[in-house]
Amino acid sequence: MGIAVRAEGIYKTFRSGWWGRKQKEVLKGIDLQIEEGEVFGILGPNGVGKTTLLSILSTLLFPDQGKIQILGMDSLRDGHRVREKVNISSGNANFLWSLTAKENLHFYGMLYGLNGNHRAKKINDLIKLFSLEEHQDIPFDRLSTGMKQRLSLAKSLLNDPSVLFLDEPTVGLDPSVSITIREQIQVIQKERGMTVLLTTHNMKEAEYLCHRIAFLKGGEILTTGTAESLKRMIRVGDVVKIEFKGTILEDELIRADGVINYGISGNLCEIIVDDGERRLGNLIALLSQGDLQIKKVTLGQTDLEEVFIEFAKNNDSDMGLCD
Amino acid sequence: MNLQKIMIQTWAFVIKNWIITKRNVFSLFEILFWPVVGFFSVGLLTNFLDLNADMAGFILIGVISMSVIQVCQIDVAYVLLYDLWSKSLKHTFIAPVHPFQFISGSWLIGVIRSFIVFLLLSFLSILTFGFDFLKPGLVPLTLFLFGLFLISGLIGMSVCILVLIFGYKAEVAAWSITSLMALVCGIYYPISILPSPFHEMAKGIPLTYFLEYFRSFYGFEGGKNLLGWGFGQIVVYLVIEAMLFKIVLRRARKTGVLIKLSE
Repeated sequence: MGIAVRAEGIYKTFRSGWWGRKQKEVLKGIDLQIEEGEVFGILGPNGVGKTTLLSILSTLLFPDQGKIQILGMDSLRDGHRVREKVNISSGNANFLWSLTAKENLHFYGMLYGLNGNHRAKKINDLIKLFSLEEHQDIPFDRLSTGMKQRLSLAKSLLNDPSVLFLDEPTVGLDPSVSITIREQIQVIQKERGMTVLLTTHNMKEAEYLCHRIAFLKGGEILTTGTAESLKRMIRVGDVVKIEFKGTILEDELIRADGVINYGISGNLCEIIVDDGERRLGNLIALLSQGDLQIKKVTLGQTDLEEVFIEFAKNNDSDMGLCD
Repeated sequence: MNLQKIMIQTWAFVIKNWIITKRNVFSLFEILFWPVVGFFSVGLLTNFLDLNADMAGFILIGVISMSVIQVCQIDVAYVLLYDLWSKSLKHTFIAPVHPFQFISGSWLIGVIRSFIVFLLLSFLSILTFGFDFLKPGLVPLTLFLFGLFLISGLIGMSVCILVLIFGYKAEVAAWSITSLMALVCGIYYPISILPSPFHEMAKGIPLTYFLEYFRSFYGFEGGKNLLGWGFGQIVVYLVIEAMLFKIVLRRARKTGVLIKLSE
């Protein structure tokens, strides 16, 4: 697999006020490497620079410093060629108000140089794919937020991009629409094998869609890795709660594979393990060896949100890069 | 370079402006109402002042030229203004299109709309004031109109440049630049009556030369090589504005204007 997006030392400061006296340093030396066909998530709270980073990678914004290569092309020098191969879809989508959904697609299709028949077929396919049939002749400003978002995704696929940038694609949508949009993104990405770079502050979304995730805070990437590896890295494991009768062999429990910590209170034992689903069977087998009777087992899995909170807390601690 | 692709991309802006125009009742005002109202107001004033035919012609040439330029330049300006108002600017600039494509596409629809305005007003001028716009002949008229269309393109580009620098604050330029030019270029009077600095300024604006050129066919004094000066200045300004556009677009990508105006 080749590298689809490579960014090195990206810095960006916004200036405002008279003579640019007010300065806001948004990105402070971002390094990023995304493989072709990968879904990469940039996760972080509002205002940390996610959209700025995405805008820089999609050629809408120039960084103050740094190098960017998209599909091997220098995006700062060769922006026009890069723009042929990428596209963007943003949450709170905005398109030309008085044009209908279909007319908007035709307009942007023409901007990518698609000719008549090819464009018409592609647009009809996209309208079908995103279930926009009933809304295709409605002006953009009269579409619901969910429909606008679907239109935005449809527009972003007009040029069959090799790299797709999704900026908070489900922000402001109700949960059921968000789930549908996420499923559509996943299906499309798998079918087309394109590289997707997604920003979100929704942990579930990142966990559901992304192969790898980077945590962005204060203009810096705190760490990068798969959802699982990130959970392991900060040792916020899954919690196995066991209600029991008898005596637990504590020496063996602490030595068991994957056990990070444990605590016993009365007849309830809480064991923290790195991967609950993987370790549960062995744990039960181990504990069942003595005179212990297991009455009830519950598995509580850590979600990415807890991981993010930990990362945010431990900003200054030494957290290495994890693949 | 794929010529077909370039044509399709350019045509996209014609289609966009056309669809928005036909859906917007105010665009009908732009084409019909304001030009016709302006034409009759000034035309009737010439009747009231009992001006001779030449003098009335002098003023009618001015008022019709002004309407042609205003309608054509607004279409060029609209190419970014529509995106600005819809907050969809970033989608235009993430597409692989060159500025010359959206300027020329929108200019084309501007030429069509303003030509309709010209036909309407010149027909009305014969009908109501007995002033014949075709008197100088087809070639001078074509050259004159072509000059006006190019000047409109320059004004529209200026508005686009200002939008990329100042965002919403620049909207007002779309309606005011033409009026400022009318003041300096002698739409209703010869530039010789202007005080010194404005008189010199008028010489730096191509519209001055095109008006003098066309009026010369109606017995008014014209300088030498007026068309050469007019078209020459247009070429110079086109080159300057093309370079400025590039610089300003680069600046917009640097300062984040494209993103801010899309939020």
